[in-house]
Amino acid sequence: MSIKIRMRGKSKGGVAQVKALIKHPMESGARMNKKTGKPYPAKFIDMVQVSVNGTAAVDAQWSGAVSANPYMAVKLNANSGDEVTVSITDNTGAKGTKSIKLK
Amino acid sequence: MKRRSFLKGTLATGAAAVAVNAGLLTPNVVLAADWNSKAFKAKTTDDALNSAFGSASVADSGDIKLKAPAIAENGAVTPVTVDASGIDGVESIAIMASKNTHPLVCEYNFGAGALGYVSTRIKMGKTMNVVAVVKAGGKLLKAEQEVKVTIGGCGG
Repeated sequence: MSIKIRMRGKSKGGVAQVKALIKHPMESGARMNKKTGKPYPAKFIDMVQVSVNGTAAVDAQWSGAVSANPYMAVKLNANSGDEVTVSITDNTGAKGTKSIKLK
Repeated sequence: MKRRSFLKGTLATGAAAVAVNAGLLTPNVVLAADWNSKAFKAKTTDDALNSAFGSASVADSGDIKLKAPAIAENGAVTPVTVDASGIDGVESIAIMASKNTHPLVCEYNFGAGALGYVSTRIKMGKTMNVVAVVKAGGKLLKAEQEVKVTIGGCGG
């Protein structure tokens, strides 16, 4: 199942701020299940890529210490009408992508 | 993994589905090699820096604007903003929580199409410093701020 992403982006004077909200548990693998005494298996987003019109702009690596349902904002050199894509992969191989046209 | 592929195999019909299944599994292996597990598993900020940037000598910089709350009510969602767009040639930004078991939280690498700005939310186990490390023009710069955590974020 693909990971859900919500995105907003607005360009002003050639600089665009793009915000993304991702639905993901971000389980670090260190939290213990008190009933069984075993840790909850790790499931967190480890790779994030942001591209403008198909060209990679930001390449991020995350650990399980990014909060659950992560929020991310970046600033890009982009004009309104440009297509911004965020694609993510978690440590179990689940993927998500979302593209928007900048306002 | 066996059980998972078995389930996938039974749900999907035909040999094509099996091929897709195999295709889904291979990129995972490739990406795991890309992910800097050594840096993320480091127990100290210096070790993490050495693994991520190859050096732990970091100079303080007033040009990095680090925005984090003085008191975080819930350490599991601490908003952190690093604005290094005042510095030329920012290559990457790393955010670390100094006393977390694994201090390195996230690392952003910037291409030509991006400004040195990142805003995110991180988990913090207790009261500690948030460290933003910026790599610009081959140099490492940092800004630090203490965040008081009243409820733990990691396993608390």
